[in-house]
Amino acid sequence: MKGIELKNVSYQYPLSEAFALKNIHYTFEKGKFYGIIGPNSAGKTTLCNLVRGLIPHFYEGELSGDVLIEGKDVREWDGSLLSTKIGYIFQNPFTQISGVKDTVLEEIALGLENLGIDKEEMIERVINVVKLLKIEDLIKKNPNNLSGGQRQRVAFASIIAMDNDILVIDEPTSQLDPESTADIFEIINMLKSQGKTILLVEHKVDLIAEYSDEVLVMENGHIAYSGTPSDVFSNIELIDRGVAIPQAALLSHDLQRQNKPFDFITITNEQAKQQIMKRMSCVNGSY
Amino acid sequence: MDYEFIYSFKKPQLTGNWFLDLNPLTKLNIVIVIAIISILSLSWQVSASIIAFYFLLAALAGCLKRFSKMYIKLGLLIGSLLFIMRAMFIPGDHPLFTFWLFTITQEGIDKGIWFSTLVVSICGAIVLFSTITRAKDFMYALENLGAPHSTSYIILASFQSIIDLGDRAKLIMDSQKARGIETEGNLLQRIKAFIPVMGPLVLGAITSTEEKAIAMEARAFSAPEKNTHLSELRKVPLWEKLFVLLVNISLILFIIWRFI
Ligand SMILES: Nc1ncnc2c1ncn2[C@@H]1O[C@H](COP(=O)(O)OP(=O)(O)O)[C@@H](O)[C@H]1O
Ligand SMILES: [Mg+2]
Repeated sequence: MKGIELKNVSYQYPLSEAFALKNIHYTFEKGKFYGIIGPNSAGKTTLCNLVRGLIPHFYEGELSGDVLIEGKDVREWDGSLLSTKIGYIFQNPFTQISGVKDTVLEEIALGLENLGIDKEEMIERVINVVKLLKIEDLIKKNPNNLSGGQRQRVAFASIIAMDNDILVIDEPTSQLDPESTADIFEIINMLKSQGKTILLVEHKVDLIAEYSDEVLVMENGHIAYSGTPSDVFSNIELIDRGVAIPQAALLSHDLQRQNKPFDFITITNEQAKQQIMKRMSCVNGSY
Repeated sequence: MDYEFIYSFKKPQLTGNWFLDLNPLTKLNIVIVIAIISILSLSWQVSASIIAFYFLLAALAGCLKRFSKMYIKLGLLIGSLLFIMRAMFIPGDHPLFTFWLFTITQEGIDKGIWFSTLVVSICGAIVLFSTITRAKDFMYALENLGAPHSTSYIILASFQSIIDLGDRAKLIMDSQKARGIETEGNLLQRIKAFIPVMGPLVLGAITSTEEKAIAMEARAFSAPEKNTHLSELRKVPLWEKLFVLLVNISLILFIIWRFI
């Protein structure tokens, strides 16, 4: 089912000559996990702003083409209704704290208060996300005094507590250590299994390859490649164009160049591991 | 997980101190009455007694230290400034002494004392109220009266941005200092050091305001539903209502005694 359709969309920020997005033509389907990668300034955040309806509801500028959210043009959507439909976790963790709550617990509850959720349920939901994000030891702290990584997790908790159907998540792990990053991906995967549509901008391509249903590679404001992770990452062009690809794919491309290819281009570490095991067992003749 | 803390939100969060636990509007009512008495009394003795009375009230609320820390500094600054201005400029028939262009008169001194104690006593009402009332409780009380949600948000957010601005100014000043720029010393030196950081400070404040607005939008701030509240205020008990009544009747009696 179609969630968000972009038809020949181009966009310029106010007072900006350059196009931040150019001729984007893409459909995000419901219930799928989209991984969005690409270098800095490629337009990833702008794409998030667009899909979330902040363009044109918050950012002015020149928007052309059609943006359909659940079949309805974004310009016709009531901006405030969109916020109840699409959850957005921003890139910058420092501006996501409301600044009006003095404990993390209340900060997480803020969105639920605005949605008019009654208190019993609010407390239930907050407890659940606090456990999920493993931030039990933060709940009494003042959100204005947290570190970047802590804020990122609080912001994440605050948005998923709201239980939106569509989640747009812009580099949620930029301030996190590898362990917390793995946790975040587990959570996103769990959200996907609950049927949510997920758009995730992330530089950690190994994780993108493992979890995404579809990968979009952005470059200079347009979508340069898109498809399933194996479609996209098995394309050798990516390496030549300097797009970061998963280690497993890199290894398998290298082997192919040496004329010793795996059975297929591996994308995830697990696939590569299996291929290596298989090859090693051939060499040894054992197993 | 601290369930005790979480479940504390199921009931009104009381401190056990009867004065602190008064409804924010009750507290507001009390401090306004006190300020009005100070204004109407036209007497520096009354205003000065009221200033002393604030310390008693703050002690009663268990906030004496926090209150004193803020109020003494502010009071001395404003009080002395106003006193000097009045004393220097108000003419009268009883000159006490003359220096440079100014003749200090008994009238000037009297008016100075009266006016500065009056203003300091009014400031005291504000400082006391803000010390004994959590901003969010006050906003919640206003919302219960029918003030729109956005108003209380804007007020709370403004408080926070003032704090943020101060923090950021301190950060920039510290880095200026680290670069060897003199940021301490007399007032003039401090002002000189501060001027170049104003630009980035203001710009930073503007961009973060825009991002804050988007962040609030992400939390469904303008959602059409009627919003609910995690923390709640105690239902005002009968004795508190009677107490407010008593306070207000005393004010009326005071006005009658003073003017009729
Ligand atoms: N608020 C803005 N106003 C003007 N230009 C912007 C704004 N935000 C981003 N841009 C420009 O749009 C382009 C795409 O930026 P962005 O979407 O943030 O890229 P990414 O998230 O991939 O790093 C960049 O050239 C950037 O300078
Ligand atoms: Mg970005």
